[in-house]
Amino acid sequence: MTTASHEPGPRSGPHKVLLAVYALFALAAGARALVQLATQYDEAPVAYWLSLAAAVTYALGWYAIRQASVGHTGFASVMLWVELAGVLTVGTLSLVESDWFPDASVWSDYGIGYGFVPAALPIAGLLWLRQQKRLPVGSQSRDD
Amino acid sequence: MPSVSTQITFIVVGYAALVAVLALVVALRHGERPGWLDQLAWMLEALLVVRALAGLGALGGDGPPSTSTYVGYLLASVCVLPIAMQSIKDDRAVWSSAVIAVAAVAVGVVAVRLEMTAS
Repeated sequence: MTTASHEPGPRSGPHKVLLAVYALFALAAGARALVQLATQYDEAPVAYWLSLAAAVTYALGWYAIRQASVGHTGFASVMLWVELAGVLTVGTLSLVESDWFPDASVWSDYGIGYGFVPAALPIAGLLWLRQQKRLPVGSQSRDD
Repeated sequence: MPSVSTQITFIVVGYAALVAVLALVVALRHGERPGWLDQLAWMLEALLVVRALAGLGALGGDGPPSTSTYVGYLLASVCVLPIAMQSIKDDRAVWSSAVIAVAAVAVGVVAVRLEMTAS
């Protein structure tokens, strides 16, 4: 490791934490959805497909944040709102139409099974993105 | 008396909580990530490998109720920290400590889930 690598440089930033959490949730939601779809599909197919959709959203969110960290914020502006809308829609439906969810999905009850992190994550992402957009071009945190 | 793997899980969860708290303290103090935090994280990884090896025993006999879920948690328990450490390999700034905190919390949760799905 070089001396330069010890300097807090433009490669660092809050996006590193967001990327770690998005990667974790893509893995967790994806593995959960695939296992449930493969082994107990008939129990709650809607919930399991929604979990898979959540996993895809987290994977795309990871890519979007990575792009935004180098100044390309367009995709993240869309994806983070899509994710927030997904959590709010599925969370609300799971409460008002509980018959549709015999088993929980990742976003059921606004992500209560994951300590409400699914609800907080897009909000944290949007706050970071707002800050990122305010930075002058060329001074964004870089990840590659 | 709890099984050996359950006892190791207790140690893993307690140690993961310690690493998460220390990493968070370092991050909140806005300091550069110290070398000892890396060493603590890798010691946690070593514990997780020991827990995973002990957990392989649960695959014998009747096995866990859902083998695929159990194996998934087993693999996740040993993969998460190395991936997190790789992502901050060249970054010793304040946010890299927060990544270790997130990873430590995650492996603690995975260790609990691993124990819950073992039988």
